[in-house]
Amino acid sequence: MKTVIKTTDLSKVYTETAVPVHALKNVNIEFKEGEFTAIVGPSGSGKTTFLNVIGGLDKPTGGHVVIDGVDIATMKESKLFDFRMRHIGFVFQAYNLIPVLTAIENVSFIMLLQNRPKAEMENRAKEMLEQVGLSDKLDVRPSKLSGGQQQRVAVARALASKPDFVLADEPTANLDTESAFNLLDIMAKLNKEENITLIFSTHDHRVIERARRVITLVDGAVASDEHFERAER
Amino acid sequence: MKTLIKISWRNIWRNRSRTIVIITAIILGLMGGIFSAAMRLAMEQQQFEDTIDNQVSHIQIHHPEFIANPEAQYRIPGGNEIAKELKEREDITVASPRMVTDGMISSANMNSGVRIKGVDPVIESKTTGLDQLIVDGEYFTAEGRIPSILIGRALANDLNAGVGSRLVLTFQDIEGEMISSSFRVEGLYKITARRFEERTVFVKSSVINELIGEENAVTEIAIFLEEPDNYRSISRDISEIYPETKVRHWADLEPSLYYSLEVLNESLIWILIIIIMAVSFGLLNTILMSILERVRELGVLLAIGMKRARVFSMIVIETTIISIIGGATGLVLSWIMINILGNTGVNIPGGEGLEEFGYASVLYPRIETSFYFEIAVVIVIFAILASIYPAWKAIRLQPAEAVRQE
Ligand SMILES: Nc1ncnc2c1ncn2[C@@H]1O[C@H](COP(=O)(O)OP(=O)(O)OP(=O)(O)O)[C@@H](O)[C@H]1O
Ligand SMILES: [Mg+2]
Repeated sequence: MKTVIKTTDLSKVYTETAVPVHALKNVNIEFKEGEFTAIVGPSGSGKTTFLNVIGGLDKPTGGHVVIDGVDIATMKESKLFDFRMRHIGFVFQAYNLIPVLTAIENVSFIMLLQNRPKAEMENRAKEMLEQVGLSDKLDVRPSKLSGGQQQRVAVARALASKPDFVLADEPTANLDTESAFNLLDIMAKLNKEENITLIFSTHDHRVIERARRVITLVDGAVASDEHFERAER
Repeated sequence: MKTLIKISWRNIWRNRSRTIVIITAIILGLMGGIFSAAMRLAMEQQQFEDTIDNQVSHIQIHHPEFIANPEAQYRIPGGNEIAKELKEREDITVASPRMVTDGMISSANMNSGVRIKGVDPVIESKTTGLDQLIVDGEYFTAEGRIPSILIGRALANDLNAGVGSRLVLTFQDIEGEMISSSFRVEGLYKITARRFEERTVFVKSSVINELIGEENAVTEIAIFLEEPDNYRSISRDISEIYPETKVRHWADLEPSLYYSLEVLNESLIWILIIIIMAVSFGLLNTILMSILERVRELGVLLAIGMKRARVFSMIVIETTIISIIGGATGLVLSWIMINILGNTGVNIPGGEGLEEFGYASVLYPRIETSFYFEIAVVIVIFAILASIYPAWKAIRLQPAEAVRQE
């Protein structure tokens, strides 16, 4: 299967602090197309740092991140904006959505930045909102949606532009159990149906079991990397 | 671009009350600034018109010696003929010959130096509208044995005189001999310049000519122009035609008036610029606050691939929209205000005090339309300047940092 992301000797040291923090230490990981991976580990183990670095939001201090044959670790910042927009989908812990745009406008937003034709954009946005079970909330603004619904819109937005992969940093952290399971189920379903590579971080044991690959980070290094066969739900 | 404007527009109204406050500040700032500019302009305009119409006219012609010694000895040779010739010119509406001399006016127990203007009552009422200025008594209608004199209200006060009082004028005849003669106050006039009121008296030219001993004596020709703006070229022209005379225009005669008008025209826009600058700092603060409240959101926008240039434009557009709403409303309201006040006039509280300095107590503010457009341009420029710092702040956010922020 095709490799989507490959990191070699990836490291990140934060030096702005009094004592330098080694947030990532020589991380070598490969992500294949269509994988559904959970990054787990205790607080401060480097999950967010890892996702930021492979998502091009932050520069590593050493090593390489090769996506689609390109090393983004050395990419110019102006090029990175475009690269992120075309290749990577993001879901953050909270406040993902543009508050002044409706659900469908939020989902269309990246496609809009990509100058996609209007009709295609609308159809795709509707389709995605339907996939996440929000076809009745198209014209609703985020403030009128529950936390779980907002995260589902964010997932729909991240996937709508068909990126190479989607990074989700603790997408369920602010959700109750039911919403968290619901969101993960939707992500699992989309991962399968759209064949989009999904990587999410969590320290929520309830949702880890939904992933087919679980990478455990401890102190910025990979402690374990397990693959599971999951029964279809 | 359309989406950017849509988002900017909606962003503006997220904190409705804050936006309304800053828009109101822009509106009030503009109305206040334009009002004060229009009032200053009206004041100067009023003073200009009063000074020209009642006092100096556009151009004056004298004997060169008369400037230093305003006496009957220094008459304009052939003054009446010159006045007639000038009146024939297309560009001159009025050329009024006068017999003017300095002299002394005395009441029973007081006297005062004055300029005596011997005028033709008919010409003077048609030109300077002297008859319109009479506030007490009559304008050269009495046919009594004692000739009439019109004096300023202020002078009447100083001399303790009134309509019907007898006053004595002392001045030189054409030979330089002192002569005195009695006059009866027939009317009191009032103009906005107190100094002029105290220093100038009017008598019939026929009367004073008889006293000084020459029938057609003319020491001054006052000229009004069809096109007042051409005063410089026309006065040059006249002085070339009559080289033996001294020709002076109003800017020579009243240099302080001339310079204050010049300075005013320059300074009005600066008053507005300073006000707009002050308001722009408020605008800058408002936008900056809105940026600080949106750090996470802006971080997400940058993270998902919205280019810094677009985020920058978004902030500039937000600021510009606010300034356009405030600016347009402020300008329209100002325009309405100035139009209403320009018709009804504005009473200056304590205006009587101002009159001493030559200002009227009721002003009619007026502003040229082009001024509003100049202000509009200034507003947009300053709004864009005010948005640069917040927008720069916004694009300096590091997406990774911004989205981490709790
Ligand atoms: N901007 C920064 N400056 C300095 N140190 C940082 C910065 N960001 C993160 N760190 C440090 O790097 C280490 C890894 O942090 P990171 O946020 O990646 O961990 P995490 O696994 O996501 O933790 P959590 O589960 O709490 O979200 C921590 O020790 C953290 O304090
Ligand atoms: Mg984290």
